[in-house]
Amino acid sequence: MTTVEQHQDDTVKHGHRHEGPQKHVVVFIFSIILTAIAFATVMAGGVNVAFTVILLVVMAVLQALVQLGYWMHLKDKGHLMPIIFMCGGAFVAFTAIVTALYWVWW
Amino acid sequence: MTSAHAESVNGSLPHEPEKATLEGRNKVLGFWLFLGGESVLFGTLFATFLALRNQTNDGPTAHELFSLPTTAAATLILLVSSLTSVFAVQAMHRHKAAALRLWLIITVILGLGFLGLEVYEFHEYVTAEKFGMTTSAFSSAFYTLVGFHGAHVAFGVCWIGILIGQLYKKGLTVVTAPKVYVSAMYWHFIDVVWVFIFSVVYLLGKVG
Repeated sequence: MTTVEQHQDDTVKHGHRHEGPQKHVVVFIFSIILTAIAFATVMAGGVNVAFTVILLVVMAVLQALVQLGYWMHLKDKGHLMPIIFMCGGAFVAFTAIVTALYWVWW
Repeated sequence: MTSAHAESVNGSLPHEPEKATLEGRNKVLGFWLFLGGESVLFGTLFATFLALRNQTNDGPTAHELFSLPTTAAATLILLVSSLTSVFAVQAMHRHKAAALRLWLIITVILGLGFLGLEVYEFHEYVTAEKFGMTTSAFSSAFYTLVGFHGAHVAFGVCWIGILIGQLYKKGLTVVTAPKVYVSAMYWHFIDVVWVFIFSVVYLLGKVG
């Protein structure tokens, strides 16, 4: 190995701090907990329907945001355009869902 | 091809090889635009499903049909596979090509497990429950939404499978790295869509 390569190799090893798996394992456990809350509420039954619906939506949106932010790195810097793309997609999706839910069976 | 590109292929890899070239950065940005479009696609399918989910035409209802343990198993498999693709990208950032391939192989196997479970579920519905594509507006909306997601999983399994082969052939370079990164983004997105499917289709179906 030449000295230049050696140097580059060292930079890779020591020049940058690699993010560890801990953060991603925490996101995984958080996702499992949110999923478990949603499943447990429905499986237990007897919970107010309106409350269950709100709970399911909140759990799903939270889990989606955490996974988009950490696993897909949307929270990292330099992701303004991807955030705009995803917000645009989410806006159209949300509009379509509201329309279907409230205007189809008017 | 830029000189940085050629250099990196022959010499040592940069820290984040997927962002080392303009082509790589453009691929990631372009893929986000695609995922925004995918959100619209799934959003409209969800909208259709939500509008039609109670139109059962005297066929099976969501409450009669769904088995939550199966859904929970599918959810766990897909969530774990999303985590293994995170580990794949982390191995790539550490330039560990063998670990990268191994995590991708595990991801593909989990994806196949999810697909197997879904095929079994649909088969049960069609044969035992007489719940086909044309049974009711609810069944059409259900198979279109969940089937579209399943088709995405199947496509992802093929895509990542081919990438694994390419990694064996060409190794980890600034050319192959963006492909791995983008396929991991795709896989995470599939898992995010599934979060809404198990919440809105399966759990909400049980609630009423």
